[in-house]
Amino acid sequence: MSVLLEVRGVSKRFGAVQAIERLDFEVKQGEILGIIGPNGAGKTTAINLISGVIRPDSGRIALVGEDVTGMRPDRLVRLGVVRTFQATTIYQERTVRENVRRGAFTTLYPGFWPGFLGTGAARAAERRTEATIGELLGWLGLGEVAEAEARNLPYGYQKVLGLGMALAARPRLAMLDEPAAGLSHDEAAHVADVIRRTNADGVSLIVVDHNMRFITRLCHRIVVLHHGTELATGTPQEVTRDPRVIDAYLGTLHEPA
Amino acid sequence: MGLRALVESAGAGLRRRRWLWLGVLGALLVAWPIFIHEVFFAYIATLMLLYTIGAASLHLVLRTGHLSLCHAAFMGLGGYTSALLTTRLGWPFALAFLASGLVPAAVALVVGPILLRLRGVYFVLITFTLGEIVRLVLNEWKSLTGGADGIFRIPPPSPLLVDKRAYYYFALAMAAICVGVIARILSSQTGRYIDSIRESERLAQSSGVPILRFKVMIFAIACGFVGFQGSLLAHFITFVAPGSYTFSESLNLLVMNVIGGMGGLAGPLIGAAFLTALPEFLRGWVELQRVLYGVVLVLVMLFVPGGLIEIGRRLLSTGRS
Repeated sequence: MSVLLEVRGVSKRFGAVQAIERLDFEVKQGEILGIIGPNGAGKTTAINLISGVIRPDSGRIALVGEDVTGMRPDRLVRLGVVRTFQATTIYQERTVRENVRRGAFTTLYPGFWPGFLGTGAARAAERRTEATIGELLGWLGLGEVAEAEARNLPYGYQKVLGLGMALAARPRLAMLDEPAAGLSHDEAAHVADVIRRTNADGVSLIVVDHNMRFITRLCHRIVVLHHGTELATGTPQEVTRDPRVIDAYLGTLHEPA
Repeated sequence: MGLRALVESAGAGLRRRRWLWLGVLGALLVAWPIFIHEVFFAYIATLMLLYTIGAASLHLVLRTGHLSLCHAAFMGLGGYTSALLTTRLGWPFALAFLASGLVPAAVALVVGPILLRLRGVYFVLITFTLGEIVRLVLNEWKSLTGGADGIFRIPPPSPLLVDKRAYYYFALAMAAICVGVIARILSSQTGRYIDSIRESERLAQSSGVPILRFKVMIFAIACGFVGFQGSLLAHFITFVAPGSYTFSESLNLLVMNVIGGMGGLAGPLIGAAFLTALPEFLRGWVELQRVLYGVVLVLVMLFVPGGLIEIGRRLLSTGRS
């Protein structure tokens, strides 16, 4: 499998805190890569670094060989790298369909003048995008609530909507920050199903979570983060048997709170 | 399926009704001078129309989530550009008019990338400062601008437009074009992503929207349009002076948006008409003019916080139920 995204020796410091220390991993074309680690391990920082929200102090990030270190988030989206947010970040006062439409900027926006003049190409792009949005809403299970205001949706639906907005950009690589956090068992299963189907559609994914069970069932490979650096990388079986992982991560899980 | 068809036909009906209202409004605007001959009314109506351009263009900036307090400065740049080019260099009005939009837009393109990085109160303060700088330059660069006295005897766009009623129709056409273009920008995909940016920059950016480029583009377009107003106003009242483009004029454009309603383009149009007419009709009470003006503003904000457009909406909804 060819490499889609390469993260090489990336470091980031916030004041006195070394959030990420020489992080090294890669995402292969077509895989679901899990990033797991306890709170504060630097999972979200890793996503923020790759998506361009923050710049690394050192190191290199490359997308199919092209250096994208520190590239602005919107440019990365246009190269096919999208992300979701931990919290339900959605346009609260808009309908579900309008939220997804706004996520589809890369295909829906024809440029200022074609949009202004309503050229044939612009309208054709609009029709195509509306059709794909309809399909997307359908298989996300949001078809029924497409015209509802996003803020009125139950939390689980809002999480799925956040995912849908990212997928509307037709990404090559989607980075999901805790897509199942706070969801019920059934909702989490639905999200996992959506992720698998997205992957079957040819999209590579990075899934960040601290729920070991969710990640091991979903991902092809897993990177375990600990104090901002990579502790272990491998298949779910390899990682869950790794004594360092059990010690650093699973060990703490069983400690009484 | 039946429900969806019903909803869609209702939507189409609403759009048809909007065009019908626009048609009625257009007919009224064209027809009233035939029946009412007072020049005073034509004068005020022309001012109202010209201010709809400035207020609507500021609406564009507000829609990106930025509250600008230097919009009148760009109106001044437009007015002075047009005035100088026609009086000093003898340019034909059409060319000077084009320049009166391009000069403010070009200035906005230069300062925009710096200003629009600032948010909230910092943007407000920096635009306030910029407005003062422009006023000072107009005041002090006497060899070019004529200082505090300004520039007099600006010719009308055409000898045919000396008559105030003729100018009214000219202003009507220009305002219709300018406001129409602004309305089209808002209804196009660009409008959709302007709203996205205002509602959540982070989210818009993570959908691929180049936020700063959008903001700068919209800011430049808005400044270009208010420059057009500056030109049309200068050739209407035949003089420009720094005193016409002060902070209070910027505030006036903003209050038009607030009073009219900020939710849609109809707000600033109503606000512009209302706030241009109000002081003129309060002239009978010169000593109380400012006080009454303030009282009316406070009453509107107190009882119709959604703006004057809210009154129309309430009337329509009670009419339906």
